Amino acid sequence: MSTLQRPLLVLLICMICYGLTLGPFTAYMKRKPVEEKLGYVPSVNLFRYISADHKEFVGATLLMKVLMYFGGLMDKQDSKAVTEVPDYRGMSNIIHTALKLDPYNVDGYYFAQSFLVWEVKQYDIANKLLDYGMKYRTWDWYLPVFAGFNHAYFLKDYIKAADYYKRAGELKGDALYFSLAGRYMQESGQTELAIAYLSAMEKGERNPAVKKNYQIRLAAFQEVRRIEQARDRYLSSGGTLPVLLETLVRSGLLVPAPLDPYGGQFYLGENGKVATTSKFAFAGAKKEDEKKVENAR
Amino acid sequence: MNRIILITLKGIFRDRIFQGIMALSVLFLFIPSAASLSMRQVVELSTTLSLSLISFIMLLLAVFLGATSIWKDIERRYTFSVLSLPISRSTYLLGRFLGIAIFMLITALFLGSIAMISIKVASLIYPPARPLLWSAIVAAIFFDALKYIVVVAVAMMLATVSTSFFLPIFGSVSTYLVGTITQQVYDYLQTPSAQKAVSAAVRNVAQLLYYLVPNLNSFDLKVNAIYAIPLNPSGLFLTVIYFVVYIGILLAVSAILFGRREMK
Repeated sequence: MSTLQRPLLVLLICMICYGLTLGPFTAYMKRKPVEEKLGYVPSVNLFRYISADHKEFVGATLLMKVLMYFGGLMDKQDSKAVTEVPDYRGMSNIIHTALKLDPYNVDGYYFAQSFLVWEVKQYDIANKLLDYGMKYRTWDWYLPVFAGFNHAYFLKDYIKAADYYKRAGELKGDALYFSLAGRYMQESGQTELAIAYLSAMEKGERNPAVKKNYQIRLAAFQEVRRIEQARDRYLSSGGTLPVLLETLVRSGLLVPAPLDPYGGQFYLGENGKVATTSKFAFAGAKKEDEKKVENAR
Repeated sequence: MNRIILITLKGIFRDRIFQGIMALSVLFLFIPSAASLSMRQVVELSTTLSLSLISFIMLLLAVFLGATSIWKDIERRYTFSVLSLPISRSTYLLGRFLGIAIFMLITALFLGSIAMISIKVASLIYPPARPLLWSAIVAAIFFDALKYIVVVAVAMMLATVSTSFFLPIFGSVSTYLVGTITQQVYDYLQTPSAQKAVSAAVRNVAQLLYYLVPNLNSFDLKVNAIYAIPLNPSGLFLTVIYFVVYIGILLAVSAILFGRREMK
Protein backbone atom coordinates (compact mmCIF):
# COMPACT_ATOMS: atom_id res chain seq x y z
CA MET A 1 0.00 0.00 0.00
CA SER A 2 2.84 2.34 0.92
CA THR A 3 4.24 1.90 -2.59
CA LEU A 4 1.04 3.40 -3.95
CA GLN A 5 0.66 6.01 -1.25
CA ARG A 6 3.74 7.98 -2.21
CA PRO A 7 2.93 8.52 -5.88
CA LEU A 8 -0.67 9.28 -4.89
CA LEU A 9 0.54 11.94 -2.49
CA VAL A 10 2.81 13.44 -5.15
CA LEU A 11 -0.06 13.39 -7.62
CA LEU A 12 -2.35 15.12 -5.14
CA ILE A 13 0.23 17.83 -4.39
CA CYS A 14 0.89 18.33 -8.10
CA MET A 15 -2.85 18.59 -8.83
CA ILE A 16 -3.25 21.23 -6.14
CA CYS A 17 -0.25 23.15 -7.47
CA TYR A 18 -1.69 22.87 -10.99
CA GLY A 19 -5.00 24.29 -9.79
CA LEU A 20 -3.17 27.13 -8.04
CA THR A 21 -1.05 27.95 -11.11
CA LEU A 22 -3.91 27.75 -13.55
CA GLY A 23 -5.62 30.93 -12.31
CA PRO A 24 -2.64 33.30 -12.62
CA PHE A 25 -1.49 31.54 -15.78
CA THR A 26 -4.83 32.02 -17.55
CA ALA A 27 -4.97 35.62 -16.37
CA TYR A 28 -1.46 36.21 -17.74
CA MET A 29 -2.38 34.72 -21.11
CA LYS A 30 -5.48 36.92 -21.25
CA ARG A 31 -3.51 40.06 -20.43
CA LYS A 32 -0.72 39.24 -22.86
CA PRO A 33 -0.36 42.19 -25.25
CA VAL A 34 -2.15 41.69 -28.54
CA GLU A 35 0.97 42.49 -30.56
CA GLU A 36 2.62 39.52 -28.95
CA LYS A 37 -0.34 37.37 -29.81
CA LEU A 38 -0.14 38.24 -33.51
CA GLY A 39 3.49 37.29 -33.11
CA TYR A 40 6.35 37.09 -35.48
CA VAL A 41 6.05 35.14 -38.68
CA PRO A 42 9.16 33.69 -40.35
CA SER A 43 9.90 34.44 -43.98
CA VAL A 44 7.78 32.96 -46.77
CA ASN A 45 10.66 30.86 -48.05
CA LEU A 46 11.21 29.20 -44.71
CA PHE A 47 7.49 28.49 -44.45
CA ARG A 48 7.48 27.06 -47.94
CA TYR A 49 10.15 24.56 -46.98
CA ILE A 50 8.92 23.54 -43.57
CA SER A 51 5.26 23.23 -44.51
CA ALA A 52 6.14 20.34 -46.88
CA ASP A 53 2.92 19.21 -48.55
CA HIS A 54 0.69 21.08 -46.09
CA LYS A 55 1.02 24.52 -47.70
CA GLU A 56 -2.73 25.03 -48.01
CA PHE A 57 -3.21 24.03 -44.38
CA VAL A 58 -0.44 26.33 -43.14
CA GLY A 59 -1.82 29.17 -45.29
CA ALA A 60 -5.32 28.71 -43.85
CA THR A 61 -3.91 28.54 -40.31
CA LEU A 62 -2.03 31.83 -40.76
CA LEU A 63 -5.19 33.52 -42.04
CA MET A 64 -7.14 32.19 -39.06
CA LYS A 65 -4.52 33.66 -36.76
CA VAL A 66 -4.99 37.12 -38.28
CA LEU A 67 -8.78 36.81 -38.22
CA MET A 68 -8.79 35.79 -34.54
CA TYR A 69 -6.50 38.69 -33.69
CA PHE A 70 -8.72 41.14 -35.55
CA GLY A 71 -11.87 39.62 -34.03
CA GLY A 72 -10.40 40.11 -30.55
CA LEU A 73 -9.70 43.77 -31.25
CA MET A 74 -13.20 44.33 -32.63
CA ASP A 75 -14.66 42.89 -29.42
CA LYS A 76 -12.58 45.30 -27.38
CA GLN A 77 -13.72 48.20 -29.54
CA ASP A 78 -17.27 47.03 -29.06
CA SER A 79 -17.03 47.07 -25.31
CA LYS A 80 -15.23 50.44 -25.57
CA ALA A 81 -12.50 48.95 -23.37
CA VAL A 82 -9.61 50.02 -25.53
CA THR A 83 -9.46 51.59 -28.92
CA GLU A 84 -6.03 50.48 -29.96
CA VAL A 85 -4.99 50.57 -33.57
CA PRO A 86 -4.62 47.04 -34.98
CA ASP A 87 -1.18 46.07 -36.19
CA TYR A 88 -2.14 46.41 -39.86
CA ARG A 89 1.42 45.99 -41.08
CA GLY A 90 1.76 42.68 -39.23
CA MET A 91 -1.66 41.57 -40.49
CA SER A 92 -0.72 42.43 -44.06
CA ASN A 93 2.60 40.58 -43.77
CA ILE A 94 0.95 37.42 -42.51
CA ILE A 95 -1.74 37.55 -45.20
CA HIS A 96 0.92 37.99 -47.89
CA THR A 97 2.82 34.99 -46.51
CA ALA A 98 -0.38 32.91 -46.43
CA LEU A 99 -1.19 33.81 -50.02
CA LYS A 100 2.30 32.98 -51.20
CA LEU A 101 1.78 29.52 -49.69
CA ASP A 102 -1.69 29.11 -51.13
CA PRO A 103 -2.45 31.70 -53.83
CA TYR A 104 -5.96 30.29 -54.24
CA ASN A 105 -7.23 31.08 -50.76
CA VAL A 106 -9.97 33.67 -51.27
CA ASP A 107 -10.19 34.51 -47.56
CA GLY A 108 -6.77 36.17 -47.78
CA TYR A 109 -7.71 38.53 -50.64
CA TYR A 110 -11.05 39.23 -49.11
CA PHE A 111 -9.71 40.10 -45.71
CA ALA A 112 -6.76 42.10 -47.04
CA GLN A 113 -9.16 44.14 -49.19
CA SER A 114 -11.37 44.81 -46.16
CA PHE A 115 -8.67 46.72 -44.28
CA LEU A 116 -5.84 47.58 -46.69
CA VAL A 117 -7.89 50.14 -48.62
CA TRP A 118 -10.28 51.44 -45.99
CA GLU A 119 -8.15 51.55 -42.90
CA VAL A 120 -4.58 51.93 -44.09
CA LYS A 121 -5.17 53.37 -47.57
CA GLN A 122 -2.56 51.13 -49.18
CA TYR A 123 -4.30 51.00 -52.54
CA ASP A 124 -1.23 49.96 -54.44
CA ILE A 125 -0.48 46.98 -52.16
CA ALA A 126 -4.14 45.93 -52.25
CA ASN A 127 -4.34 46.15 -56.05
CA LYS A 128 -1.09 44.26 -56.56
CA LEU A 129 -2.39 41.52 -54.29
CA LEU A 130 -5.65 41.36 -56.25
CA ASP A 131 -3.79 41.20 -59.58
CA TYR A 132 -1.69 38.36 -58.15
CA GLY A 133 -4.86 36.54 -57.07
CA MET A 134 -6.50 36.98 -60.47
CA LYS A 135 -3.64 35.04 -62.06
CA TYR A 136 -4.67 31.99 -60.05
CA ARG A 137 -8.38 32.38 -59.33
CA THR A 138 -9.24 32.83 -62.99
CA TRP A 139 -12.93 32.02 -62.39
CA ASP A 140 -13.46 34.34 -59.45
CA TRP A 141 -15.44 37.51 -60.19
CA TYR A 142 -14.98 38.92 -56.69
CA LEU A 143 -11.36 39.90 -57.19
CA PRO A 144 -11.99 42.09 -60.28
CA VAL A 145 -14.95 43.65 -58.43
CA PHE A 146 -12.62 44.60 -55.57
CA ALA A 147 -10.01 45.93 -57.99
CA GLY A 148 -12.66 47.85 -59.95
CA PHE A 149 -13.98 49.41 -56.79
CA ASN A 150 -10.50 50.42 -55.63
CA HIS A 151 -9.76 52.09 -58.95
CA ALA A 152 -13.10 53.86 -59.16
CA TYR A 153 -13.59 54.95 -55.59
CA PHE A 154 -10.12 55.52 -54.22
CA LEU A 155 -7.90 56.13 -57.22
CA LYS A 156 -10.53 57.78 -59.49
CA ASP A 157 -9.10 55.83 -62.40
CA TYR A 158 -12.41 55.18 -64.14
CA ILE A 159 -10.97 53.65 -67.29
CA LYS A 160 -9.14 50.91 -65.41
CA ALA A 161 -12.09 50.46 -63.08
CA ALA A 162 -14.42 49.91 -66.03
CA ASP A 163 -11.99 47.26 -67.33
CA TYR A 164 -12.11 45.36 -64.07
CA TYR A 165 -15.90 45.61 -63.80
CA LYS A 166 -16.18 44.38 -67.37
CA ARG A 167 -14.04 41.38 -66.47
CA ALA A 168 -16.18 40.69 -63.41
CA GLY A 169 -19.31 40.91 -65.55
CA GLU A 170 -17.88 38.45 -68.06
CA LEU A 171 -16.92 35.99 -65.34
CA LYS A 172 -20.22 36.20 -63.53
CA GLY A 173 -22.31 36.39 -66.69
CA ASP A 174 -24.22 39.17 -65.03
CA ALA A 175 -25.07 42.50 -66.61
CA LEU A 176 -25.07 44.22 -63.21
CA TYR A 177 -21.36 44.80 -63.22
CA PHE A 178 -21.41 46.32 -66.68
CA SER A 179 -24.01 48.80 -65.55
CA LEU A 180 -22.15 49.32 -62.28
CA ALA A 181 -19.15 50.27 -64.33
CA GLY A 182 -21.09 53.04 -66.02
CA ARG A 183 -23.51 54.20 -63.35
CA TYR A 184 -21.17 55.21 -60.62
CA MET A 185 -18.18 56.30 -62.64
CA GLN A 186 -18.53 59.92 -61.68
CA GLU A 187 -17.60 62.01 -58.69
CA SER A 188 -21.23 62.66 -57.70
CA GLY A 189 -22.00 58.95 -57.41
CA GLN A 190 -19.10 58.10 -55.11
CA THR A 191 -21.10 57.66 -51.93
CA GLU A 192 -23.65 55.54 -53.80
CA LEU A 193 -20.82 53.42 -55.16
CA ALA A 194 -19.40 52.90 -51.69
CA ILE A 195 -22.84 52.03 -50.26
CA ALA A 196 -23.56 49.54 -53.05
CA TYR A 197 -20.16 47.91 -52.53
CA LEU A 198 -20.35 47.84 -48.73
CA SER A 199 -23.90 46.46 -48.67
CA ALA A 200 -22.89 43.62 -50.97
CA MET A 201 -19.83 42.86 -48.86
CA GLU A 202 -21.73 43.02 -45.60
CA LYS A 203 -24.47 40.73 -46.88
CA GLY A 204 -22.06 38.00 -47.96
CA GLU A 205 -19.92 38.14 -44.84
CA ARG A 206 -19.85 35.24 -42.39
CA ASN A 207 -17.15 36.26 -39.95
CA PRO A 208 -18.83 38.31 -37.20
CA ALA A 209 -15.86 40.65 -36.63
CA VAL A 210 -15.45 41.52 -40.30
CA LYS A 211 -19.23 41.77 -40.76
CA LYS A 212 -19.43 44.20 -37.86
CA ASN A 213 -16.62 46.25 -39.39
CA TYR A 214 -18.58 46.49 -42.64
CA GLN A 215 -21.82 47.33 -40.83
CA ILE A 216 -20.22 50.26 -39.03
CA ARG A 217 -18.69 51.61 -42.22
CA LEU A 218 -21.95 51.13 -44.08
CA ALA A 219 -23.84 53.02 -41.35
CA ALA A 220 -21.31 55.86 -41.62
CA PHE A 221 -21.72 56.07 -45.38
CA GLN A 222 -25.51 56.01 -45.09
CA GLU A 223 -25.23 59.02 -42.81
CA VAL A 224 -22.97 60.72 -45.36
CA ARG A 225 -25.59 60.11 -48.04
CA ARG A 226 -28.30 61.57 -45.80
CA ILE A 227 -26.20 64.71 -45.29
CA GLU A 228 -25.46 64.95 -49.02
CA GLN A 229 -29.16 64.70 -49.87
CA ALA A 230 -30.01 67.41 -47.33
CA ARG A 231 -27.18 69.57 -48.67
CA ASP A 232 -28.45 69.19 -52.23
CA ARG A 233 -32.00 70.07 -51.19
CA TYR A 234 -30.64 73.16 -49.41
CA LEU A 235 -28.70 74.12 -52.53
CA SER A 236 -31.68 73.73 -54.86
CA SER A 237 -33.99 75.74 -52.60
CA GLY A 238 -31.60 78.53 -51.58
CA GLY A 239 -29.12 78.56 -54.43
CA THR A 240 -26.10 78.50 -52.13
CA LEU A 241 -24.15 75.74 -50.41
CA PRO A 242 -24.51 75.57 -46.65
CA VAL A 243 -21.29 76.37 -44.76
CA LEU A 244 -22.17 74.63 -41.52
CA LEU A 245 -23.81 71.28 -40.94
CA GLU A 246 -25.84 72.83 -38.15
CA THR A 247 -27.60 75.02 -40.73
CA LEU A 248 -29.04 71.87 -42.31
CA VAL A 249 -30.12 70.47 -38.96
CA ARG A 250 -31.71 73.75 -37.85
CA SER A 251 -33.53 74.23 -41.14
CA GLY A 252 -35.18 70.84 -40.63
CA LEU A 253 -33.63 69.30 -43.74
CA LEU A 254 -31.47 66.93 -41.70
CA VAL A 255 -33.49 65.38 -38.92
CA PRO A 256 -32.31 63.69 -36.77
CA ALA A 257 -28.81 65.13 -36.60
CA PRO A 258 -26.26 62.75 -38.18
CA LEU A 259 -24.29 60.45 -35.92
CA ASP A 260 -20.85 59.15 -36.78
CA PRO A 261 -20.62 55.49 -35.65
CA TYR A 262 -16.85 55.95 -35.35
CA GLY A 263 -17.38 58.54 -32.63
CA GLY A 264 -16.32 61.55 -34.69
CA GLN A 265 -18.32 64.57 -35.86
CA PHE A 266 -19.48 65.24 -39.38
CA TYR A 267 -18.75 68.62 -40.96
CA LEU A 268 -18.97 70.22 -44.36
CA GLY A 269 -15.64 70.74 -46.04
CA GLU A 270 -14.71 72.64 -49.17
CA ASN A 271 -17.41 72.80 -51.85
CA GLY A 272 -19.87 71.25 -49.43
CA LYS A 273 -18.00 67.91 -49.31
CA VAL A 274 -19.09 65.84 -46.33
CA ALA A 275 -16.25 64.82 -44.01
CA THR A 276 -15.87 63.59 -40.45
CA THR A 277 -13.34 64.18 -37.70
CA SER A 278 -13.02 60.42 -37.22
CA LYS A 279 -11.88 59.95 -40.84
CA PHE A 280 -14.04 56.82 -40.74
CA ALA A 281 -11.86 55.00 -38.22
CA PHE A 282 -12.05 54.48 -34.47
CA ALA A 283 -8.42 55.40 -34.16
CA GLY A 284 -9.12 58.61 -36.09
CA ALA A 285 -11.75 59.72 -33.57
CA LYS A 286 -9.38 58.90 -30.76
CA LYS A 287 -6.57 60.94 -32.30
CA GLU A 288 -8.95 63.84 -32.84
CA ASP A 289 -9.99 63.65 -29.18
CA GLU A 290 -6.37 63.67 -28.11
CA LYS A 291 -5.76 66.72 -30.31
CA LYS A 292 -8.70 68.51 -28.70
CA VAL A 293 -7.40 67.68 -25.24
CA GLU A 294 -3.96 68.97 -26.14
CA ASN A 295 -5.41 72.16 -27.63
CA ALA A 296 -7.44 72.72 -24.46
CA ARG A 297 -4.23 72.52 -22.43
CA MET B 1 4.88 -14.54 -50.84
CA ASN B 2 1.13 -14.23 -50.45
CA ARG B 3 1.47 -15.73 -47.00
CA ILE B 4 4.02 -13.14 -45.96
CA ILE B 5 1.74 -10.37 -47.22
CA LEU B 6 -1.08 -11.89 -45.21
CA ILE B 7 1.08 -12.30 -42.11
CA THR B 8 2.20 -8.66 -42.42
CA LEU B 9 -1.38 -7.45 -42.70
CA LYS B 10 -2.48 -9.64 -39.81
CA GLY B 11 0.42 -8.35 -37.72
CA ILE B 12 -0.56 -4.74 -38.38
CA PHE B 13 -4.19 -5.40 -37.48
CA ARG B 14 -3.12 -7.37 -34.40
CA ASP B 15 -1.09 -4.38 -33.23
CA ARG B 16 -4.41 -2.49 -33.18
CA ILE B 17 -3.05 0.14 -35.54
CA PHE B 18 -6.29 0.22 -37.49
CA GLN B 19 -8.26 0.81 -34.30
CA GLY B 20 -5.95 3.74 -33.62
CA ILE B 21 -6.70 5.15 -37.06
CA MET B 22 -10.43 4.68 -36.49
CA ALA B 23 -10.13 6.59 -33.21
CA LEU B 24 -8.22 9.39 -34.95
CA SER B 25 -10.85 9.54 -37.67
CA VAL B 26 -13.26 10.96 -35.08
CA LEU B 27 -11.42 14.22 -35.78
CA PHE B 28 -13.10 14.33 -39.20
CA LEU B 29 -16.42 14.94 -37.43
CA PHE B 30 -15.14 18.30 -36.22
CA ILE B 31 -13.84 19.44 -39.57
CA PRO B 32 -17.07 21.04 -40.89
CA SER B 33 -17.49 23.10 -37.72
CA ALA B 34 -13.80 24.11 -37.66
CA ALA B 35 -14.03 25.08 -41.33
CA SER B 36 -17.05 27.30 -40.68
CA LEU B 37 -14.53 29.84 -39.31
CA SER B 38 -13.55 30.60 -42.88
CA MET B 39 -14.93 33.81 -44.36
CA ARG B 40 -15.68 32.77 -47.91
CA GLN B 41 -14.50 29.21 -48.45
CA VAL B 42 -15.90 26.82 -45.88
CA VAL B 43 -15.97 23.79 -48.17
CA GLU B 44 -12.49 24.54 -49.47
CA LEU B 45 -11.22 24.78 -45.91
CA SER B 46 -12.98 21.49 -45.03
CA THR B 47 -11.20 19.84 -47.94
CA THR B 48 -7.87 21.38 -46.90
CA LEU B 49 -8.24 20.15 -43.32
CA SER B 50 -9.43 16.68 -44.38
CA LEU B 51 -6.61 16.16 -46.87
CA SER B 52 -3.99 17.47 -44.46
CA LEU B 53 -5.25 15.18 -41.71
CA ILE B 54 -5.15 12.15 -44.03
CA SER B 55 -1.69 13.14 -45.18
CA PHE B 56 -0.45 13.50 -41.60
CA ILE B 57 -1.86 10.13 -40.44
CA MET B 58 -0.40 8.38 -43.48
CA LEU B 59 3.00 9.98 -42.91
CA LEU B 60 3.09 8.60 -39.36
CA LEU B 61 2.02 5.17 -40.59
CA ALA B 62 4.52 5.12 -43.45
CA VAL B 63 7.44 6.12 -41.24
CA PHE B 64 6.69 3.80 -38.36
CA LEU B 65 5.47 0.76 -40.29
CA GLY B 66 8.19 1.07 -42.90
CA ALA B 67 10.96 1.66 -40.40
CA THR B 68 10.01 -0.82 -37.71
CA SER B 69 8.72 -3.84 -39.66
CA ILE B 70 12.06 -5.37 -40.71
CA TRP B 71 13.97 -3.96 -37.77
CA LYS B 72 11.50 -5.58 -35.38
CA ASP B 73 11.78 -8.92 -37.17
CA ILE B 74 15.56 -8.88 -36.87
CA GLU B 75 15.44 -7.67 -33.26
CA ARG B 76 12.99 -10.37 -32.22
CA ARG B 77 14.89 -12.91 -34.28
CA TYR B 78 11.79 -13.75 -36.31
CA THR B 79 13.91 -13.54 -39.42
CA PHE B 80 15.80 -16.68 -38.40
CA SER B 81 12.72 -18.83 -38.31
CA VAL B 82 11.16 -17.20 -41.38
CA LEU B 83 14.28 -17.34 -43.51
CA SER B 84 14.90 -20.98 -42.60
CA LEU B 85 11.74 -21.69 -44.60
CA PRO B 86 12.20 -22.27 -48.33
CA ILE B 87 11.75 -18.61 -49.30
CA SER B 88 14.38 -16.15 -50.45
CA ARG B 89 15.25 -13.00 -48.56
CA SER B 90 13.98 -10.94 -51.51
CA THR B 91 10.59 -12.63 -51.40
CA TYR B 92 10.38 -12.02 -47.69
CA LEU B 93 11.27 -8.34 -48.16
CA LEU B 94 8.83 -7.91 -51.03
CA GLY B 95 6.07 -9.61 -49.04
CA ARG B 96 6.66 -7.30 -46.10
CA PHE B 97 6.62 -4.24 -48.39
CA LEU B 98 3.48 -5.28 -50.26
CA GLY B 99 1.69 -6.03 -46.98
CA ILE B 100 2.39 -2.52 -45.70
CA ALA B 101 1.56 -0.98 -49.10
CA ILE B 102 -1.81 -2.73 -49.13
CA PHE B 103 -2.46 -1.54 -45.59
CA MET B 104 -1.67 2.04 -46.69
CA LEU B 105 -4.21 1.72 -49.52
CA ILE B 106 -6.84 0.30 -47.14
CA THR B 107 -6.20 3.22 -44.77
CA ALA B 108 -6.46 5.71 -47.65
CA LEU B 109 -9.76 4.14 -48.71
CA PHE B 110 -11.13 4.25 -45.16
CA LEU B 111 -9.96 7.76 -44.30
CA GLY B 112 -10.82 9.01 -47.79
CA SER B 113 -14.42 7.79 -47.47
CA ILE B 114 -14.84 9.52 -44.10
CA ALA B 115 -13.20 12.69 -45.42
CA MET B 116 -15.55 12.74 -48.40
CA ILE B 117 -18.56 12.38 -46.11
CA SER B 118 -17.34 15.29 -44.00
CA ILE B 119 -16.71 17.42 -47.14
CA LYS B 120 -20.17 16.52 -48.44
CA VAL B 121 -21.72 17.55 -45.11
CA ALA B 122 -19.85 20.86 -45.21
CA SER B 123 -21.00 21.46 -48.79
CA LEU B 124 -24.63 20.79 -47.85
CA ILE B 125 -24.50 23.29 -44.98
CA TYR B 126 -22.48 25.91 -46.84
CA PRO B 127 -22.96 25.46 -50.60
CA PRO B 128 -19.63 26.24 -52.30
CA ALA B 129 -19.26 28.95 -54.95
CA ARG B 130 -17.75 26.39 -57.32
CA PRO B 131 -19.04 22.81 -57.59
CA LEU B 132 -16.82 20.19 -55.97
CA LEU B 133 -14.60 18.14 -58.26
CA TRP B 134 -14.92 14.69 -56.69
CA SER B 135 -12.57 13.08 -59.20
CA ALA B 136 -9.80 15.47 -58.07
CA ILE B 137 -10.49 14.70 -54.41
CA VAL B 138 -10.31 10.94 -55.04
CA ALA B 139 -7.15 11.38 -57.12
CA ALA B 140 -5.56 13.55 -54.41
CA ILE B 141 -6.17 10.87 -51.76
CA PHE B 142 -5.00 8.04 -54.02
CA PHE B 143 -1.81 9.86 -55.02
CA ASP B 144 -1.22 10.75 -51.38
CA ALA B 145 -1.27 7.00 -50.64
CA LEU B 146 1.23 6.40 -53.46
CA LYS B 147 3.47 9.12 -52.05
CA TYR B 148 3.55 7.49 -48.64
CA ILE B 149 4.17 4.08 -50.19
CA VAL B 150 7.36 5.64 -51.63
CA VAL B 151 8.22 6.78 -48.08
CA VAL B 152 7.59 3.21 -46.85
CA ALA B 153 9.98 1.87 -49.49
CA VAL B 154 12.65 4.41 -48.47
CA ALA B 155 12.22 3.50 -44.80
CA MET B 156 12.46 -0.21 -45.58
CA MET B 157 15.59 0.29 -47.67
CA LEU B 158 17.23 2.12 -44.79
CA ALA B 159 16.03 -0.58 -42.37
CA THR B 160 17.83 -3.26 -44.37
CA VAL B 161 21.21 -1.72 -43.55
CA SER B 162 20.55 -0.22 -40.15
CA THR B 163 20.97 -1.92 -36.82
CA SER B 164 18.63 0.47 -34.99
CA PHE B 165 15.39 2.12 -36.01
CA PHE B 166 16.84 5.67 -35.79
CA LEU B 167 18.25 5.70 -39.30
CA PRO B 168 15.07 4.42 -40.99
CA ILE B 169 12.83 6.80 -39.02
CA PHE B 170 14.88 9.96 -39.34
CA GLY B 171 16.05 9.01 -42.80
CA SER B 172 12.53 8.54 -44.14
CA VAL B 173 11.25 11.73 -42.46
CA SER B 174 14.16 13.67 -44.00
CA THR B 175 13.50 12.10 -47.39
CA TYR B 176 9.86 13.10 -47.10
CA LEU B 177 10.78 16.71 -46.23
CA VAL B 178 13.44 16.98 -48.93
CA GLY B 179 11.27 15.16 -51.46
CA THR B 180 8.47 17.70 -51.14
CA ILE B 181 10.77 20.68 -51.81
CA THR B 182 13.23 19.43 -54.43
CA GLN B 183 10.98 20.73 -57.20
CA GLN B 184 10.95 24.24 -55.69
CA VAL B 185 14.72 24.23 -55.29
CA TYR B 186 15.10 22.99 -58.86
CA ASP B 187 12.75 25.67 -60.20
CA TYR B 188 14.62 28.31 -58.25
CA LEU B 189 17.98 27.17 -59.63
CA GLN B 190 16.66 27.62 -63.16
CA THR B 191 16.01 31.34 -62.60
CA PRO B 192 18.61 33.87 -63.81
CA SER B 193 19.07 35.34 -60.32
CA ALA B 194 19.97 31.91 -58.95
CA GLN B 195 22.41 31.34 -61.81
CA LYS B 196 24.32 34.37 -60.55
CA ALA B 197 23.92 33.84 -56.81
CA VAL B 198 24.58 30.11 -56.52
CA SER B 199 27.92 28.59 -57.49
CA ALA B 200 28.06 25.96 -60.21
CA ALA B 201 29.21 23.25 -57.79
CA VAL B 202 26.26 23.78 -55.44
CA ARG B 203 23.92 23.85 -58.41
CA ASN B 204 25.28 20.54 -59.67
CA VAL B 205 24.90 18.91 -56.26
CA ALA B 206 21.35 20.23 -56.00
CA GLN B 207 20.57 18.93 -59.47
CA LEU B 208 21.99 15.53 -58.60
CA LEU B 209 19.84 15.44 -55.46
CA TYR B 210 16.81 16.46 -57.52
CA TYR B 211 17.19 13.33 -59.66
CA LEU B 212 18.20 11.10 -56.75
CA VAL B 213 15.62 11.96 -54.09
CA PRO B 214 12.00 11.01 -54.85
CA ASN B 215 10.06 13.94 -56.28
CA LEU B 216 7.09 13.81 -53.91
CA ASN B 217 5.78 17.15 -55.14
CA SER B 218 4.28 15.47 -58.20
CA PHE B 219 2.01 13.37 -55.96
CA ASP B 220 0.54 16.45 -54.30
CA LEU B 221 -2.83 17.18 -55.92
CA LYS B 222 -4.29 19.06 -52.96
CA VAL B 223 -4.70 22.35 -54.84
CA ASN B 224 -6.69 20.60 -57.58
CA ALA B 225 -8.90 18.87 -55.03
CA ILE B 226 -9.48 21.94 -52.85
CA TYR B 227 -10.17 24.50 -55.56
CA ALA B 228 -11.72 22.16 -58.16
CA ILE B 229 -8.94 22.75 -60.69
CA PRO B 230 -9.07 20.18 -63.51
CA LEU B 231 -6.40 17.45 -63.39
CA ASN B 232 -3.83 16.81 -66.08
CA PRO B 233 -4.34 13.13 -67.12
CA SER B 234 -1.02 12.77 -68.95
CA GLY B 235 0.80 14.26 -65.95
CA LEU B 236 -0.91 11.78 -63.64
CA PHE B 237 -0.03 8.91 -65.97
CA LEU B 238 3.63 9.99 -65.93
CA THR B 239 3.52 10.22 -62.13
CA VAL B 240 2.23 6.63 -61.91
CA ILE B 241 5.04 5.43 -64.20
CA TYR B 242 7.53 7.42 -62.09
CA PHE B 243 6.09 5.74 -58.97
CA VAL B 244 6.40 2.21 -60.38
CA VAL B 245 9.94 2.73 -61.64
CA TYR B 246 11.14 4.48 -58.47
CA ILE B 247 9.63 1.79 -56.22
CA GLY B 248 11.25 -0.86 -58.44
CA ILE B 249 14.68 0.74 -57.95
CA LEU B 250 14.22 1.11 -54.18
CA LEU B 251 13.09 -2.50 -53.78
CA ALA B 252 15.91 -3.83 -55.93
CA VAL B 253 18.49 -1.91 -53.89
CA SER B 254 16.81 -3.07 -50.67
CA ALA B 255 16.87 -6.69 -51.84
CA ILE B 256 20.58 -6.45 -52.71
CA LEU B 257 21.43 -4.86 -49.36
CA PHE B 258 19.24 -7.29 -47.41
CA GLY B 259 20.67 -10.25 -49.27
CA ARG B 260 24.21 -9.26 -48.30
CA ARG B 261 23.36 -8.49 -44.72
CA GLU B 262 24.89 -10.77 -42.13
CA MET B 263 22.38 -12.02 -39.61
CA LYS B 264 23.66 -13.80 -36.56
